[in-house]
Amino acid sequence: MTFRYLPDVALADVAFEAEATSLGGLFESCALAVTDIMVDPATLRATVGRDIALESDDADRLLYDFLTELIIAKDVDSLLFRDYSVEVASDGRSLRAKARGESIDRERHSLRNDVKAVTMHMFGIRHEGDRWRATIVLDI
Amino acid sequence: MAQTSSFKQLSDFSWEIPQAYKPGMNVPAKIYATRKLLEAMDSGVIEQVTNVACLPGIVRQAYAMADAHWGYGFPIGGVAAFDLEKGVISPGGIGFDINCGMRLIRTNLTYSEVKPKIKELVDLIFKLVPAGVGVKGFLRVSEPQFDEIMKYGVKWCAENGQAWEDDPAHVEEGGYIKGADPSKVSRQARTRGIGQLGTLGSGNHYLEIQVVDPARHFDPQLARHFGIVQEDQVLVMVHCGSRGFGHQIGSDYLRVFDGAMKRYGIQVKDRELACAPFTSKEGKDYYGAMVCAANMAFTNRQIIVQRVREAFSKTFHREAEALDMHLIYDVCHNVAKVERHAYDGTNADVLVHRKGATRSFGPGHPDIPAPYRDIGQPVIIGGSMETGSYLLVGTQKAMAETFGSTAHGSGRTMSRTAAKREVRGAELQRKMLDRGIYVKAATMDGLAEEAGMAYKDISEVVETMDKAGISKKVVALRPVGNIKG
Repeated sequence: MTFRYLPDVALADVAFEAEATSLGGLFESCALAVTDIMVDPATLRATVGRDIALESDDADRLLYDFLTELIIAKDVDSLLFRDYSVEVASDGRSLRAKARGESIDRERHSLRNDVKAVTMHMFGIRHEGDRWRATIVLDI
Repeated sequence: MAQTSSFKQLSDFSWEIPQAYKPGMNVPAKIYATRKLLEAMDSGVIEQVTNVACLPGIVRQAYAMADAHWGYGFPIGGVAAFDLEKGVISPGGIGFDINCGMRLIRTNLTYSEVKPKIKELVDLIFKLVPAGVGVKGFLRVSEPQFDEIMKYGVKWCAENGQAWEDDPAHVEEGGYIKGADPSKVSRQARTRGIGQLGTLGSGNHYLEIQVVDPARHFDPQLARHFGIVQEDQVLVMVHCGSRGFGHQIGSDYLRVFDGAMKRYGIQVKDRELACAPFTSKEGKDYYGAMVCAANMAFTNRQIIVQRVREAFSKTFHREAEALDMHLIYDVCHNVAKVERHAYDGTNADVLVHRKGATRSFGPGHPDIPAPYRDIGQPVIIGGSMETGSYLLVGTQKAMAETFGSTAHGSGRTMSRTAAKREVRGAELQRKMLDRGIYVKAATMDGLAEEAGMAYKDISEVVETMDKAGISKKVVALRPVGNIKG
């Protein structure tokens, strides 16, 4: 599981490429990147758990919806997550995930950017050899 | 850098990209820029403005303003008008942050009065106007009230003790755009938006205490119409939009339009240009939802200004009314609206998309509030947090050339990552303080990302729009206090 930022893709926003050896791992990498953009994860504790179950038309859309869930949890419930475990069905059209984190604490958390939306720019999952990769651009 | 050899130079400040530039262009594209700005413009702008020129039902020209830079689908700093029957509506032509905009209020205070209290004032505003990741506003509204806000914006505020009597008239469209349909807004968008009224957000959004710059007070006579009557007068500028609410509506309908395009046989050159006929069910639904977000954004800026008035009142121990804290104007810069325009020998209603572009209606237009009608609509252009901002007015030439539109700001030239590499937030904060700008930021990383060097030179953008004649400079405003989300 890993991700790297792509600083030249969207000047006003934040882009990253994530990769993993499984589709579920790729979703976890992407989620960790979204966390890293919003907060220094080292300052987050994992005291609250949230179960997420989603169905979608295809794996791309499923990833889009999953990341959108994390943005909504931040806006609606003031929750940021640091640990993720994601299982994606073999057809790539549904997932069950557990996210662990805590409520935003402005004193203790080193907050960064407020992610507002996942964009469709360059969006997509690629299966290359034994690796799953995705490029994501987030609107800041 | 843009390849400009095939462009036709129309003047020192405007260029035409002919229809032959790219297969599928329905109209030419027009760029407002000096040669220097044009050559520095990223090539993405040329690609995108010519993609926009390919959209069905676009009329006359696709425009890129002097501040244009790459955006999702449409360039930021882009304007496009569409025939209501044959044309489309595109979320990419409006932007994710629906009705992101600028609001300017005046005070009767001078900098010499504010300077000794700037820290106290900025710190208090920072407390009263939540900014940063995942913040909630102080205003709690019920679901039915939120529906009313979606429909009536600042009019709702005026009826519920959240606005002064003359505030709605000093907001574009009188404080709310007609045609909102809350039934077309998703549950997710509602839950994201309802707690965010009165919050600044983050990214490039800011709230700034500004001072009239005596060296760049271009038209004191015009400025008097806005109650700007003295050098060193203090004003307050707010830049923000519809927060997560508008973003969610944008995301929801991008998905709807992705499917709708197949049904309507529309092919676009970029997935972010997803669109639907304005007359289609999907097009109408999006318009109804988008207007809800636009009205929420007007309300958001209004609630923020109420808190700013409260902060000034507490800091200076006078009622906000006694401080003359009237709204000069509030302009959208991410929106699509039905407006009547004269073009190509006709006078017709068109759907004008402005994405990172400001309405710039000229003198005499009936939509301009009465006190300003003879001089033109106020145009508020925000610069980077270090360089200052401008107040201009709209012109007849804008009505004739750009569907009454002009630029909106400066536009980034450096990525967020690169800006953070160049400067640390704490160091920038100290340097700005040395230059007389007290900054309070929700995050130091966010502050570094918004450093002035990451942006285009606002003065050159404003000069270009002024010389091109599609807006007219009134006064420059320099920052003395800044709240950064």
